[in-house]
Amino acid sequence: MEGKSRWLILIYRLPREPSRPRVAVWRKLKDLGALYLQDGVAALPEDAVTREQLEWLQLRIQEADGDATLWEGQPNTLVENKGLVEAFRTSREEAYQSIIARAERIQAKARLGGGEPLLTELAKLEREFRAERRRDYFRSPLRKEASEALKAARAAVREGGSSAENLSAEGGR
Amino acid sequence: MLWATRRGCHVDRTACAWLIKRFVDPEASFAFFKDPAEAPDEAVLFDVAGARLSHHGDDCSFETFLKEYSLEDPVLAEIAEIVHDADLMDEKYGRPESEGLDAIIRGMQLHLPDDGTLIRSTEAIFDGLYTYLAREAL
Repeated sequence: MEGKSRWLILIYRLPREPSRPRVAVWRKLKDLGALYLQDGVAALPEDAVTREQLEWLQLRIQEADGDATLWEGQPNTLVENKGLVEAFRTSREEAYQSIIARAERIQAKARLGGGEPLLTELAKLEREFRAERRRDYFRSPLRKEASEALKAARAAVREGGSSAENLSAEGGR
Repeated sequence: MLWATRRGCHVDRTACAWLIKRFVDPEASFAFFKDPAEAPDEAVLFDVAGARLSHHGDDCSFETFLKEYSLEDPVLAEIAEIVHDADLMDEKYGRPESEGLDAIIRGMQLHLPDDGTLIRSTEAIFDGLYTYLAREAL
C-alpha cells in the first residue's frame, strides 16, 4: 500500500494583461507535468528538481507583477493522496498513446522501405518520449508500452535502412 | 572569497561553482544553506532568487556569471548553452549534450548528497567538457 507523498503547491495570480507571462507560466507548468487543482493552484510531487523549477517560476511570476506562494505538504488522507497520484498517471496517458500510435506508423512505413526521413521522425519521437518520461512522476502504465513501441520502430527503421543501402549499392554496380 | 548558494546543487550551481574556481576566484570556498536567511553575511550569493548572480529574465545563473564578469571565451558560451538547456529544460538552444549532462549530474547528486563533495567531483566533468569543446571548436 502506498503511503502519503510530499507535494509542492504553487498558488499564484497574474494580471489579466499582458497575456504573455500568463501563457509562459502555464506552458512551463505543463512542461513540468504539473496538475492544476484549481485556477492558479498547481501541484507537483516534491523533489530537488521540481522544487528548484517552481522556485524560479515563483520568482518569474513576482517579476511579472503577480503574486505567488510556494507550499509543501500532504493531503489529509491516504485516499486523497491516492486520487492525486492517479490523476497524475492519467494526465500522461494521452501523450503516451499518441507516441505509441506514431511509433507504430513509423514501424509500418519502415517495412515499406521509408528510408532516411523516418530516422529523423523517429529521433524526434524518442526525444518526445524522454521528455514525457521525465514528467511521468508515478510511472504511468503506458510508459513501458511506449518504450517498447519505440524500440520496435527503431529496429524496423534500421533493418529497412540497411536493406535500402544494399539495394542502392547493388544498383550502383 | 566565500561563495554561498542553496543546498541540493544541480547542473546550474555545479557549473557555476566550477566557473568560479577556474575563471573568477581560484581561492574560492563554498557554503551551502537551506534557507537564504542562514547564509553567512560575508558570502557572495549565487543562484539564489533576487541575488545579482542568479537567474535574470531568460538567463540561468551560469549565463549571468558570464555577463557579470565579461567572460567572452567562446567555449564558455557553448557550455552556457548546454547548462541553460539542462537547467531550464526549454530547449532554447537544442543542445543534445544537455540531456546527458542532466542525467549525469542528477545521478551524482543522488550518489553524493553532500554538496561540497558533489561540486568537487563535478569539476572533472566540466573540465572534460571544456577540453572537449575547445578541441571541437578548432
